Amino acid sequence: MTGYILKRLASAIPVLFGISIIVFVIMALIPGDPATAILGSYATPENVEKLNRDLGLDKPMVQRYFIWLGNMLQGDFGRSFSLNRAVLDEVLDRFGATLILAGTAFVLCSLLGIAAGVVSAARQYGLADKAITFAVLLGISIPSFFLGMMMILIFAVKLRWFPVSGMWPIYGARDLSALISHLTLPALALAVVATGVIARLSRSAMLEVLRQDFIRTARAKGVHERSVIWRHALRAAMVSIIPVLGVQAGFVLSGAVYIEMVFQWPGVGRMLVDAILKRDILLVQGGVVFVAACYVMFNIAVDVAQSLLDPRIKT
Amino acid sequence: MMAFLKLLARNRLALGGLIVMGLVVVLALITPLLPLADPDVTNTAQRFKRPFSDGALLGTDHLGRDLLSRLLWGTRLSLAVGFAAAIIAATLGAAIGIIAGFYGGRTDNIIMRGVDMLMAFPYILLALAIVAALGPGLMNALIAVAAVNIPFFARNIRGITVGIAHKEFVDAARLSGMTDTRIILTEVLPNVIPVIVIAMSTTIGWMILETAGLSFLGLGSQPPQADLGSMLGEARSALITNPHTSVVPGAMILIIVMAINLLGDGVRDALDPRLKSGALSRPMPTTMVKRTGLPPEAKADTLLALRGLKTQFQVKDRIYKAVGGVDLQVNPGECLGVIGESGSGKSVTALSIMGLVASPPGVITGGAVHYKGEDLIGAPYEKLRSLRGDRIAYIFQDPLATLHPLYTVGEQLIEAVRAHHSIDRSKARAHAIDLLKSVRIPNAEVRIDSYPHEMSGGMRQRVGIAMALANEPEVIIADEPTTALDVTVQAQILSLLDDLRRQRGLAIIFITHDFGVVAQLCDRVAVMYAGRIVEEGPTQTVLNAPAHPYTSRLMACVPELGQGRRELAAIPGLPPVVDKLPEGCAFADRCHKATDACRQGNIELVRHGAENMVRCIAPETPAQEASQ
Repeated sequence: MTGYILKRLASAIPVLFGISIIVFVIMALIPGDPATAILGSYATPENVEKLNRDLGLDKPMVQRYFIWLGNMLQGDFGRSFSLNRAVLDEVLDRFGATLILAGTAFVLCSLLGIAAGVVSAARQYGLADKAITFAVLLGISIPSFFLGMMMILIFAVKLRWFPVSGMWPIYGARDLSALISHLTLPALALAVVATGVIARLSRSAMLEVLRQDFIRTARAKGVHERSVIWRHALRAAMVSIIPVLGVQAGFVLSGAVYIEMVFQWPGVGRMLVDAILKRDILLVQGGVVFVAACYVMFNIAVDVAQSLLDPRIKT
Repeated sequence: MMAFLKLLARNRLALGGLIVMGLVVVLALITPLLPLADPDVTNTAQRFKRPFSDGALLGTDHLGRDLLSRLLWGTRLSLAVGFAAAIIAATLGAAIGIIAGFYGGRTDNIIMRGVDMLMAFPYILLALAIVAALGPGLMNALIAVAAVNIPFFARNIRGITVGIAHKEFVDAARLSGMTDTRIILTEVLPNVIPVIVIAMSTTIGWMILETAGLSFLGLGSQPPQADLGSMLGEARSALITNPHTSVVPGAMILIIVMAINLLGDGVRDALDPRLKSGALSRPMPTTMVKRTGLPPEAKADTLLALRGLKTQFQVKDRIYKAVGGVDLQVNPGECLGVIGESGSGKSVTALSIMGLVASPPGVITGGAVHYKGEDLIGAPYEKLRSLRGDRIAYIFQDPLATLHPLYTVGEQLIEAVRAHHSIDRSKARAHAIDLLKSVRIPNAEVRIDSYPHEMSGGMRQRVGIAMALANEPEVIIADEPTTALDVTVQAQILSLLDDLRRQRGLAIIFITHDFGVVAQLCDRVAVMYAGRIVEEGPTQTVLNAPAHPYTSRLMACVPELGQGRRELAAIPGLPPVVDKLPEGCAFADRCHKATDACRQGNIELVRHGAENMVRCIAPETPAQEASQ
């Protein structure tokens, strides 16, 4: 097992390398002189020259890439000019908030999605199946940012069950109950789309598995139907559901950008959007590389989980 | 194409999606012709007018602009951008996919590595990076959304192309000296275009959503120009005071995306042939029972007796009569062989006993299965469940498919015991080890923790038998348990079953197509053809003097070792399709001595000699001879 994990980690190195190249190349696409773009109205010739030197932009591309990569490997992601702060510090601060939001949403959508899919498959063409199918269709069609706004309107403004936005109360204790009440609406809004996708996939994976011979064997043994569905069928269906969870984690992380904007959540997504609007390129670059690297690591964890679940995968 | 449209039209939801989408598209197209207010003229005196007020059907926004007009113009823009992004992504993605799939090897490797890298990003990071580089703006948002979707198309299309690139017609084109470009354009492209279209139809909603999202973040369309996303983004600051300015564009996005999703689902369903046959239906816990008339009475003192059992498969408007009235019985210590070709209905008969025929489409339409005088057909689920595996157990063919691949054989054995007896796990485990020993699995204490895929075929089948024995059943129904095994292993398994039967007084129903197995193991044999028994009797008399022409022809197909010089006579023709059974004898069309009388009325199963029964009006042997 340890060998397998190490092997998977080693295989991530070229991917991470590739990610850094892609981000670097995209950033190199910036039309015109990046220093001029960054400085905007402060772009006097002296300032431009100084910034170019500071950013190392006077050197050739390949050399610049390796300098940038080398610095990143040492934990130096550069400095955000709009915040006047080390990029990595800012990203790490913000990433925690995103992780809480996206992590909660991911757990929610996995549990709800799989449960809905299983129930839907077990009651195929029944009332529960039809209701779930309709809810799923609605869920995957509604833009998460619109859903978030409507949730604020109904549950925060009209019913006053939850706070309107933010991660912590402005006054008062920053304890778990405060966090939960602030987290509930954004996490739900973020989870809805992924829940729909996972429910859909779980349903078809379950239907596929329920037709297999070993399900008939379980029934022939006299195993309770509940156990046939939740133990035999779901276990086998998980083999095709887990990779989807990995993909959906990426979508949840992506959707977090919108939700963070709607709910004023102090996460990395809002930071990126602000940075783009302020043309703070280094902050964007660092944030993107950091989050993408975390996502790659997460996918390795998914692969490892998959190998634990399916003994047929050679570890 | 027409069939496809018809299928799509039959799906009411998809049709609804198509109509809504059509309406939206038409509205977007004629927007410039409609008598609308200018969407960009601000009038702060008229700001935040409610919907349905004078002069503004949907009200006005924070700058007093007419919302209806802005909505229609915004829809127009959102649709255009979404479609454009889809077309760009599909074109570039397909081009990359075709090149990778067509050339293969190194080219493929390098391209797909790049695609994998791009897919390693959560899509929005890539889109944000592109927008960050190019700067906010609708065109740049369009480029970003198209770019992040290219890998998806490239990967899909590559998969299809790889399949096509090795087809004969492509080889033929190559040999005829066509250039690669021409082959791609004339041979490959026409075959992948349908896939491209489907992939587009399923992603276009997504693209509209994504561009709207970027605009919502303020990274897409810039004021005063507005698509649906930026309308929603601008309305956000007035969400609490004037929610209608948010609801109007938000609802429009929802409507569009939902219509496209419905349509996409319809397209996919219409194209997925598996759904047409209803094959994706999940089998229910017990077979459906729709019996007409009174079930037959139980006969005294038989352990298990089938009376006039009828099982059908009802697929759409077709009815396949897989089992057409079967009578069988078995008593303790007895082994009954049921023999027949594939499709003769022998497995369905076996599965019907405990209601294990997949349903839908299987339906038991008549007859009875009496276990100790009690009818099991139509018995409540809990009754059947308590008998399954406890009193009446199954052994199936191909244990690799019939054992759960992700549980160890020990867990599966323990579960079989604990489904009927509440004993603790350690006791159940000890029992499971005993069971494995009783089916002569060496090293049972270690093997119990193996997964099915770690065992040989013979070992797996022994596990299957051990599982059937777990609760010391009275009847074992073995459905071709040795078919997947080689001859030596088969012999071991058969002798094992025979020993168990003698030691424990088991009744065995043994389904097979192998006369050798029947001769070795069974006391009596029933021959099935087209869902009915055509001959039944003690194994010796049936094998020595088959009375039904089908039995004798079937036996003539069996090669015999050391006999030499005998011609193997295959039976001409095929068994009849069971949804169109002919009148009279189902075998008549393949029988060398069929007469007109064979094709009329119902031919009964009649006594033939002392212990045999035959369903034939011209049996191979005279009745007296058979009885001697």
